[in-house]
Amino acid sequence: MIVGFSGKLYKKYEKDGIELLKEAIDEALEMAGLTYSDIDGIMANIGRGSFHGNKTYLNPPAQIGEYFGIKPKIIDHVQYGGPSVLAMIYRAYKAISAGDADTILCVQGGKISHIRDSNQFQKTDIIDSPFDDFIKVYDQMSPISDYAMVAYRHSKLFGTTDEQRALVAVMQRYNAINNQKAMFRDPITVKDVLASRIVSYPLHLLEIVYPIDGFHVFVVSKRTSKSALRNIDILAYGEAHWPNPPAEWDDIIYTPTIESAKRASFNLNRVDAFELYDSFTITVMLQMEDIGLVEKGKVGHFVESHDLTYKGDVPINTGGGSLNTGQPAYMSGGVILEEALLQLNNMANGHQVSDANVIFLNGIGWWSRRHTVTLVLGEKK
Amino acid sequence: MRDEEVRSMYFKYFQEEQLPFIQCGKCGHKFFYPRVVCPKCGSSDIKIGLSEGLGKIFAMTRIYKKDGSYVVYGIVEMNEGFRMYANIVEENGNTADIGKKVKVIFREINGKKYPLFAVT
Ligand SMILES: [Zn+2]
Repeated sequence: MIVGFSGKLYKKYEKDGIELLKEAIDEALEMAGLTYSDIDGIMANIGRGSFHGNKTYLNPPAQIGEYFGIKPKIIDHVQYGGPSVLAMIYRAYKAISAGDADTILCVQGGKISHIRDSNQFQKTDIIDSPFDDFIKVYDQMSPISDYAMVAYRHSKLFGTTDEQRALVAVMQRYNAINNQKAMFRDPITVKDVLASRIVSYPLHLLEIVYPIDGFHVFVVSKRTSKSALRNIDILAYGEAHWPNPPAEWDDIIYTPTIESAKRASFNLNRVDAFELYDSFTITVMLQMEDIGLVEKGKVGHFVESHDLTYKGDVPINTGGGSLNTGQPAYMSGGVILEEALLQLNNMANGHQVSDANVIFLNGIGWWSRRHTVTLVLGEKK
Repeated sequence: MRDEEVRSMYFKYFQEEQLPFIQCGKCGHKFFYPRVVCPKCGSSDIKIGLSEGLGKIFAMTRIYKKDGSYVVYGIVEMNEGFRMYANIVEENGNTADIGKKVKVIFREINGKKYPLFAVT
């Protein structure tokens, strides 16, 4: 039912966020063979301060509709960070199956270079947690410092090394070399990763995504005749939310993925490639464990003994992931979803997994891993 | 108790250099982040207690600034059993690491005192 898609990524986009969004919508609609008047549903998740200057839309699907003159039958604001767009696809499929709408636009991204490039975040009344007053007062660097704590604890408990984490970055970079959308395309070695500066111990600069301007748009629709894309279906789905501060969890080395993947309950032997959220190297490794690819604590050895490139035995982040494309508006979900669709439609020039029929996606959201979505795409047979 | 009362009691204790936490009267669960309801059982039978201020480092990172200096940020687990985020101070050559013992200290941030932890 995904009949068109687009990802527009820029290190720094010169015009406004809404103009960047139009570029992406136009391209996705063209692929779908549809026009603005066909759209009768909008689901969106837009980065904070990313539309007009540093303005944040309170209700992005409604305000996008307002701007573009779309009158939807259904709107949904799915906002829990990076994996939100994976959840939108599921919600859009359900809405279309139920007859609530025919063509739904799923949107994620934003223009955030002005935030990235300024030294201070705009202080607003929008809060991330009821406990911001007791957490954000400290000298910290969420989400980098948060994931760094997890990486260090993982090392302490299981002996996971810096070299093992670096291997994830190295293999993803190999996948990015021929990806036209990747911003970083020069080959790197483990030594290069370890020589890059430590930002938050033990994470090095080359283990961390670079935030960029970008929008992803996915058109979900019944009307498939004009689209050249395969008729992709959702083979499995699960989401899980652990909204408490991770300090209160049993342990921070787990993510809600252990529950979302269980809910999706998909046989990993049927998977041709994995697209796993890659805000940091450790994020990918946590998911490899939590989806059940490898036992908790053993991912370090696993990355040493398997080839994770698109040519390998366990292809992961086959286009290089957001570690190499950059992370649009601090959210990587669109990057992994676009890559999954390229793989499934044999459109991943230079990084195509041969005979890719089933792609397993997992996303993690928010500053501290609280929200996860597991989504498996392929043709229903 | 109202949410506003719990929060202002927390800040009052901070100014007196005391570290509060909450214990559920129904299930006994102990937690730091101030709420009027127990996140484990949903009971509003909550009681503010005071920690002895001793614990150990559960997780941590060193955040490096551009000038090469760093701060330690982490999660501490107090002897009473609750966990919280805070900066950790390395004093008298004591180096922070996971498992190392800490005690609460108070420092002024934005004009108010907040709990931090010193490696002992
Ligand atoms: Zn309770």
